[in-house]
Formats: sequence, structure tokens, C-alpha cells
Amino acid sequence: MEPTALTLAGSTDAALESFLNEEIRHLIAPPPESANSFTALLGLPRTRAIELLHSPETPNSPGVAVSGNPTRPYFNCLGDGGGGFAFAADSELVVPAARYSVFAGEKNDSLETSSQKVKNEPLTESDSNHNSSSQPLVSDPTVENKGQRPPKRKDREKKGKASAKKSKNESSEVAEELPYVHVRARRGQATDSHSLAERARREKINARMKLLQELVPGCSKVALLGTWCIDKPQQHSEGSEISGTATVLDEIINHVQSLQRQVELLSMRLAAVNPRVDFNMDSIFAAENVSLVESNFPSMVMPLMWPDVQVNGSRQQYHQQWQFNSLPPPVWGREQDNHNYVTPENSLLSYDSPANSGFPICRTKSFFISPLQRLCTQEPPKMEL
Amino acid sequence: MKNPQRSPTNPGSVRSRFTQVFLQSLLRIRKHSPASSSSSSSLGEFLKRCHRVKVAAYVSMARAAGTRRAWSRAMLWRVRHDAHRHRLLQGRCSRSSSRERSPGKKKRRTKKKKKRRDDQEHGFGNAEKLQKLVPGGEAMDFSCLLDETAHYIKCLVTQVKVMRSIADFYSL
Repeated sequence: MEPTALTLAGSTDAALESFLNEEIRHLIAPPPESANSFTALLGLPRTRAIELLHSPETPNSPGVAVSGNPTRPYFNCLGDGGGGFAFAADSELVVPAARYSVFAGEKNDSLETSSQKVKNEPLTESDSNHNSSSQPLVSDPTVENKGQRPPKRKDREKKGKASAKKSKNESSEVAEELPYVHVRARRGQATDSHSLAERARREKINARMKLLQELVPGCSKVALLGTWCIDKPQQHSEGSEISGTATVLDEIINHVQSLQRQVELLSMRLAAVNPRVDFNMDSIFAAENVSLVESNFPSMVMPLMWPDVQVNGSRQQYHQQWQFNSLPPPVWGREQDNHNYVTPENSLLSYDSPANSGFPICRTKSFFISPLQRLCTQEPPKMEL
Repeated sequence: MKNPQRSPTNPGSVRSRFTQVFLQSLLRIRKHSPASSSSSSSLGEFLKRCHRVKVAAYVSMARAAGTRRAWSRAMLWRVRHDAHRHRLLQGRCSRSSSRERSPGKKKRRTKKKKKRRDDQEHGFGNAEKLQKLVPGGEAMDFSCLLDETAHYIKCLVTQVKVMRSIADFYSL
């Protein structure tokens, strides 16, 4: 089995490279977001997914799975690859996969493991036998680490070995028919369809709760991860160590309420602002764009694809206004704000750091200048939506 | 005015769209408000303007988020029907009309717990609170609710940042 695996790896290397490159491009083009990745994956075409699902089972057509339509198929494996990927006993297979570890976060493991899985399943049947004992142990934590669930109905989780080895598997197997999603039970788990469906649903919910935890500040992940056990339903026995009995949901609710209250306060402030001489749209837009850019700068993931825009001329003209604005300290006598957010003073003073104008906000600056200038001349504003 | 490179759910494009729409609506509110400066306006006028600014903020955020999201659709629907109901109340001055129109599609007032009883596994007693907070939350199952909440929180954070920067710009 080994030599065939190696030769096949060599031949499919180029194909793998090309299709992974396309995947990288495809992922970069809509910039990935942690909270939206699984919703983006929801739109994957089912036919491609099923094709890919069937293709690894036939040992004759491994190349099809890899070099076939390269845009989507590996998304399917994101669902099943995370669970029980066959271990690459061959180092040659590991290396090209490791080369493409450009994605931060969870996509990393899924990509590599899925690419491995696509090639491994038809090849290493004997290897899968060999590794059968180790796989369920490894598949458990990877399943828990995943945050992406492609299909809509159930989760596509292959936690067992290669599908060809049904006889050796202790886990059950759902019939592989369209449009049902293939869920494979783990070793020693209940295998009726109800519990499978429920487990799939629970894992979906757990994945989203984790994302929410990341969004909500003040949710310590270490303390609260224990409350989201995947398999067994359990009460909030551990709870949160931050605030007594508050759970993750409570934190989320509090956060949403506080944000809504802040919106109300800010709207009061805006309503009370004295109508100055001119609603200088240019400077507002530029100032808040800069401040928002600065505050979001560490969270920007993929500035690569955004074209650089020459805004140096306009930037200098705004710079003087910012310097003027940063001198008098703000009077916030009306309400108390949280001081968690980057204040415009900090952002303005730190503006001299080279914020690469690859951000599309700068692009919209120049794009919007003409309608904003029209607004400044007191023409009736048009709603451009 | 969408940045063609970005998906509508990306906070960068949401933010730029939101700022633009919100600033335009602020201008319009300023024009429609009484010509006297804010210091001389009565408290009632001030509160009305506050409310209008708040509604404008939410509407512009919902528009910037796009109609792909259930919460943005629900919010726009709610604002439109609140305005509609308000106008009806003013026009007819009758209580019955408001009761007719209150249920609507999204069933804000009715407490329909569709499968809440099934979701006791993780202690989902707070799901109802979350449903009330997130617009359109009552019509969703729990996983969709979590998804919408995540996006809603992101957009709220963006909105707060933009509004704060505008307010700071003018209070200086």
C-alpha cells in the first residue's frame, strides 16, 4: 500500500496545490469572519458535496475528488474532515498539507485534514485499520474545536474510519442518500437517528455559543467552556467563575442590553448637539473613518486584497482639522461612558502610525466626497442605499 | 452604495454604509426640527428628537446590514409598522385599530414558545430574554437565534462606535 500511496501523492501534489490555491483565493475574496464562516458554508452546493462524499469510497477515483471542481469540494470535508481524519502515515502527504496552513484559526485544521482525508480514504485502507484505535481518541477533541458546520439539516461528521471499513467499525453508519446528511456516531455512542440528530443539533449550538463567547467581552473562555459539554446534556453545574451564577447566555443578554442602552445615550447626545455652523460632512467622515480604522486595526484580518488608494492629499488636508480637534479635552458632563473603547483622541494622536490605506474605508472616502460636498452646500440630500 | 468587494455582513462595509446613511438622516432630522437652537427647545421637542435620532440609528443600521439578516428585516418591519400604527392612532384616535395591527407577522407581543420546552438541556431559560432583545427573535429556533445574536452584537458595536465618534466630534 505504501508505494501506491507515495506515487499517488506525487501525482496529485500538483493538483492539490492548484486546488488549494484556488481555495485560498476563494477564501480571501470574501474576507473570512469568524462568526460568519459557518453561515457562508451553509450555501455550499449539495451535489458537489455528495459527489465528493461518494468519490472517496471508490478507490478507483481518488484523483477526481482532488482535481475535480476545485472550488467547493473541500468544504464538504470541513464537516467530516474535522472529525475523523485518517492519519497520514505518509510524510509526503503531510508536507503539502502543512504548506497550506495559512489560514488562522479553525480552518487550518480542517483544510489540512480534509485534504489529507480526501486522498487518504481511498488509499490507506490498511492504514486506517491500523490507526483505528487512535482515531476515535483524536477525533474527539478536533470535533470539539470545530466551529464550522456546513450542511443545513444535520452535521456531516465522520468520526470513524474510512467508510470502506464498515465491518471493522463499531460505529453505525447512516444511509448515504441524498439529501440526508451523513452523520456517523462515535465509538460507544447511541446510534439511533434521534440521538444522532440531537447530537448534531447540540454541536451546532455549541459552536455558535463559542463564537458568541468570543464576541462578548468579559466572557472568560476557560471558565465557561466547561458548561458546554457536547455529548451529554448537563445543567449549569459549573457556571461562570466570573460573576457567580451568571451563565454565558446571561452575559450575552447583559452585553446586548448595555449596547442598546449606549445607543440610546448616544442618540440623546446627538440630539442635544448644538447645530453648529456647518455639518461638515467631509471632516466627520474622515475623522470617524480614521478613528474606526485605528480602533479596528488589530482586528483586521485580510487587508491584502484591498487596493491601495492614493488618499495622501486629502489626508493632509484633514490632518490639520484633527490636530485642532484633539487640543481641547472633551466635555462629557452629561453621561458617563464606558472607557473601554478607543477614544478619538487616542486614535487621532496615534494617526501618525502608518495606517496602510489598503482599507476600503479610505476608498469610500474619496468615493463619497462629491455627494458629501453637495450636502455641505445645503442641497437636499439624497438617500443612497 | 455598497463597496463591491465586501460582503454586506462584513463590518467594514457595514460601517461605511451605516455612517453614510446615518449622517444623512441626522441632517434631515436637523432640518426638520424647529429652527430654534436646541437650548431653547422644550423638553418634549428634545425627547422627540432623541427618539427620532434613535430610530434613525437603528433603521440605518438595519439597512446597512442588509436584508439577508432576519433581525434587520424584523427591525425594519417593526419600525415601519410602528410608524404606521402611530399615524393611525393619530388619525383615528381609536384604540381598536392599534390592537388589530399589533400582532403582525413577527408576533412580538405573543409569547409563543414553540420548542422552548425541548431546549432545557443547556439551561435555555434565558432564551426568551434573548428573543425579546434581538429583533425578530421570537420567530426563530435557538441556533438561528444565536447566529442572529452574533451578527446583531457586531452591528451594535459598530453602531456605538460610529455614533460615539460623531458625538465626540461635535462636542469638541
